[in-house]
Amino acid sequence: MASSPRTGRSSPALFAVVIGAVLILGVIAMVVLGFDPLRVSQGVISSFFPPQAVTDRGEHIRQLYDLVFGIAVVIFFVVEGLIIWTVVRYRRKPGDDELPPQTHGNAVAEVVWTVVPTLIVAVLFVASWLTLNTVDAASAQPQMKVRATAAQFLWSFQYLPNDYDPVTNKDAKPLLEITEPEGPDGGLTLPVGRTIHLYLQSPDVIHAFYVPQFLFKRDVVPGRINSFEFTIKDEDAGGTFHGQCAELCGEGHNKMHFDVHALAGADFDTWLQQKIAAANASPSPPPPQPSGSAGSPPPGASAPPAAAPLSLVAKDIAFDTAALTAPANTPFQIQFDNQDASIPHDVAIHEGSQSGAEVFKGDVVTGPAQKTYDVPPLKAGSYAFFCTIHPNMAGTLTVQ
Amino acid sequence: MATDSHALTPQDHSPVAGLAHDERGGISNVVLGMLLFITSEVMFFAGLFAAYFNVRANAPQWPPINAETGEAFHLEILPLVGPATVLLILSSFTCQFAVWAIRRGDRTAFLRNIGVTFAIGVTFLIMQGIDYTILYSEGVTLGSGTFGTTYFTLTGFHGAHVFGGAIMLGVVLYRGLAGQFSARHHDAVEAVSLYWHFVDVVWILLFSLLYLLPGKSPAGV
Amino acid sequence: MATTALHPAARTYRSTLYEWVTTTDHKKIGVMYLINSFIFFFIGGLLALGVRSELAQPGLQFVTDQVYNELFTMHATFMIFLFIIPILAGFGNFIVPLHIGAPDVAFPRINALSLWLLPMAGLLLLLSFFTGQAPAAGWTSYSPLAQDRPLGSVGPGQDLWIVAVVLVGTSSILGAVNFLVTIFKMRAPGMTLFRMPIMVWTVLVTSVLGLLATPVLTSALIMLFIDRNFGGAFFDPRNGGDAILYQNVFWFYSHPAVYIMVLPAMGIISEVLPVFSRKPLFGYKAFVFATAAIGALGFSVWAHHMFTTGAVYLPFFSLMTFLIAVPTGVKMFNWIFTMWRGQLVLSTPLLFALGFLSMFLIGGINGAFSAAVPVDFALHDTYWVVAHLHYVLFGGSVFGVMAGLYYWFPKMTGRMLSEGLGKIQFVLMFIGFNLTFFPMHQLGLAGMPRRIADYSSTAGWNDLNLLATIGGFTIAASMIPLLWNIFVSLRSGKPAGDDPWEGNTLEWATTSPPPPYNFDHLPEIRSERPLFDQRHGHAAPAATAVIPQSASTSH
Repeated sequence: MASSPRTGRSSPALFAVVIGAVLILGVIAMVVLGFDPLRVSQGVISSFFPPQAVTDRGEHIRQLYDLVFGIAVVIFFVVEGLIIWTVVRYRRKPGDDELPPQTHGNAVAEVVWTVVPTLIVAVLFVASWLTLNTVDAASAQPQMKVRATAAQFLWSFQYLPNDYDPVTNKDAKPLLEITEPEGPDGGLTLPVGRTIHLYLQSPDVIHAFYVPQFLFKRDVVPGRINSFEFTIKDEDAGGTFHGQCAELCGEGHNKMHFDVHALAGADFDTWLQQKIAAANASPSPPPPQPSGSAGSPPPGASAPPAAAPLSLVAKDIAFDTAALTAPANTPFQIQFDNQDASIPHDVAIHEGSQSGAEVFKGDVVTGPAQKTYDVPPLKAGSYAFFCTIHPNMAGTLTVQ
Repeated sequence: MATDSHALTPQDHSPVAGLAHDERGGISNVVLGMLLFITSEVMFFAGLFAAYFNVRANAPQWPPINAETGEAFHLEILPLVGPATVLLILSSFTCQFAVWAIRRGDRTAFLRNIGVTFAIGVTFLIMQGIDYTILYSEGVTLGSGTFGTTYFTLTGFHGAHVFGGAIMLGVVLYRGLAGQFSARHHDAVEAVSLYWHFVDVVWILLFSLLYLLPGKSPAGV
Repeated sequence: MATTALHPAARTYRSTLYEWVTTTDHKKIGVMYLINSFIFFFIGGLLALGVRSELAQPGLQFVTDQVYNELFTMHATFMIFLFIIPILAGFGNFIVPLHIGAPDVAFPRINALSLWLLPMAGLLLLLSFFTGQAPAAGWTSYSPLAQDRPLGSVGPGQDLWIVAVVLVGTSSILGAVNFLVTIFKMRAPGMTLFRMPIMVWTVLVTSVLGLLATPVLTSALIMLFIDRNFGGAFFDPRNGGDAILYQNVFWFYSHPAVYIMVLPAMGIISEVLPVFSRKPLFGYKAFVFATAAIGALGFSVWAHHMFTTGAVYLPFFSLMTFLIAVPTGVKMFNWIFTMWRGQLVLSTPLLFALGFLSMFLIGGINGAFSAAVPVDFALHDTYWVVAHLHYVLFGGSVFGVMAGLYYWFPKMTGRMLSEGLGKIQFVLMFIGFNLTFFPMHQLGLAGMPRRIADYSSTAGWNDLNLLATIGGFTIAASMIPLLWNIFVSLRSGKPAGDDPWEGNTLEWATTSPPPPYNFDHLPEIRSERPLFDQRHGHAAPAATAVIPQSASTSH
């Protein structure tokens, strides 16, 4: 004989009372702990939605999300409700020894629950296709062209001339390059209200350009030029939107952040002109003086003679030395040679170790290229030097 | 009606009752198993072929220019690959003759034909091996860009399948010589012959794609 | 309780370690599949605890970025290739021959090979931890990150991974051939295709998927191996290769793979619900067609994993992805109406089946969001997807596995598992699972990407991550009653007898565990519930007398 099955004891009424009690107790607990139940519930509800969209296309995506969400909630409550109801209502009770009616199926039911979901799905598909056409549309003449370059593990941005074309004119020199991806002095600054065509390029692995407040991301694929368009809404001028790489790209993946700054149109034009002027005006660093001249100090200087420049090479994601020395209390130079094609490196110096205070941070250099860093005078002691993008490239700088 | 007409008792067939001795007839388990296995192998080659088509479609020119010589890659049909192809096609015929022979119980013809099939298979491999050495000496290797990679991967895995097929033919030959096959019981022969035909068909496709399909040049050239 | 009396000459079922290692008996092989899979389930689970521990709070507390990438890569690799795919194959192994009244599978020795390839593959993966850099490119192993280059996947770890996955694939393909020949050729008389248990149908469709899709993965991984080790140019843009090609070939397998990972679990649910509702499965034929439709449609949707690459014809894949919801919905309603107007017995197998229904519902619904392409632009590669995949694979497949375990443990071992401990496990697992993965919907919506070792403390993700970690440890806690239950029940669980659940299908018509040749006697098979028919007298008087009175045989 089969072992007799357990039978349940609770009823639907008890079920409803328990749920109600939990809810009421929950509200009381919140109030006692100092939470505002209204704000908490608003917070809970808003957590089911993406952030407020700051672009026009993001707005369309949000509307599609709301439609899908509405249908999803209805379906969930109907089907889950059916499941719960069935469990509560049709439990085997003591004394139920006769078999229940052995229904094998119902053809009408099968048709209904095949056709109705197909219709629902058709509606969702059409809605998403229409939205897609809006979101992916590319205009014949975008008002601005920008490029985001994703390298392991740094974003950089290039403002492109309007005649830039990835096929016919791909070597067009950018008007401006930003190599600091975050912060008030860096990031991708853009005007509101204009159509922006953003090109995406990577020299190494797949990355993804993702800004949650755009409700949008697009992969950056090496060997391929992706691009998309958007317009930041006028009311979002002055805002900063955070972005992050969203495709696993290696060890530094979680550190590839960037900011998007939105400016009103006129403010942006001013900003761009100032930036371009500053970039053109700064003189190229003078070529390093040969240290052969027999010890003649610069005229009028009472400081000790300028030290010979240090040489540092980056190749295969490694520095060529892990030990540098420099004189104390004297400005000195580092001649930095980045031999890693398409890979950005820089040199930062921190007191003691990488977590110590920063005393110098050189500009990012994308190889193959050279740059001379001017390091300010440092007190005697031990410092850590490293590449901030690839922190495994590190060494010790002894200043004495 | 006998109450237990379908009941299995321990005196019935051994637990391997499902094998070729199944009196209910139809395809034998071994042959069905081999057909399914061949299907999976077809899908394996499908993945490689898909990669090849993709590479070809994306390339502005095919065959592409060999970076070392400055000229386009070129594959020679003579004196090795063409005759090897003819031989392999011939071997499918001899293989099928062997199957027909054993089906009618003609062990002598069966053994002869299997032997010839096996010998052709080995010859094909040797000829392909020589061709590979020639290509390598010309600087065309697995690492020679998209052309070398796809050529050697596709033909290499085909060759590996010929090698596996040759081993299976060898086993069948050995078992045949030991008298293990008869007109009624020769599932392994049927199964191996199916595999051999599959190997041949794949080669015909490969040969056509790699050697016969016209290339493409950049527009205007 | 009824116990079939075996023929006196039947060997006593006492086996040595040597017998287990060399066996070709599908039942022992099935049990070993289960044991092997559970071992890797726990390893994968420990790796997940590592991931969750690191993410509980902002800042890197326990591991480096690189090690974190290794943790989630290996977590997914073990769970997918060495746990969920094999454990469902293991259940199939044990139960399919019994379900169709066959004495074993068609190719028992190849069956043993399929089994033993798995611990070998697992060992290779474990070995990769000791090669300097374990694979860290995600279980998807996209090129170019998976290429052998600085800042990519340097060293033999990734190559060991490739070899291990190819071994698992070989095991799957051989298993698929075995199941298909067994199902088509070895059914007992009277067992027509439309009288087979739905479990067998799901194994059939799963085997077709495995047969056709797995070799494509093998080709992708071999091409990646050639790229990494022979300077190949398939997927490396620096050599003229195409990174997107890898994704296409990879997902062509990996999408059908998710149906491989769930269909047999759906088969288990389709066995458990009728027995514990004391009613037949509602809409048997609809189930068959829905399963076949899911299998077929499953081949047409792969690029929905690639919507954000800019390299995909979006409307087609979006439409096909939406369409797969229809046969899945058909199944959901048929399951519910199996219970409707039944007499539900809330034993542990049914509880896990109910958990499956509810969790898979959520997983299916949140998948529909991703099918809407523009919404996917927001949600792809965020924690939303992590929520979705765990709701279908854990809430779905793992709950199905647990239902199958509690349901068939008596048949496999002759002992009942404790109901009390089972219910404790269910409650802990259910609560822990939802605590862990529901908040991930919100995290994804708020913008938290996947596969990041750390997050900013000002992003607003702290509380939900902490909650998810607490949930993760609750899931881990739920393993304790499970293990204790198995340990105690094996030693002193209540004897099960042939048919402790009043089952419908043939496995309950023999002893627990069955003799090596499975059946001394088969009942008449005139419907999909031969045992039900026998019990309720619909079949011709099936003899209960078992032992032929003739002299002993040579067995």
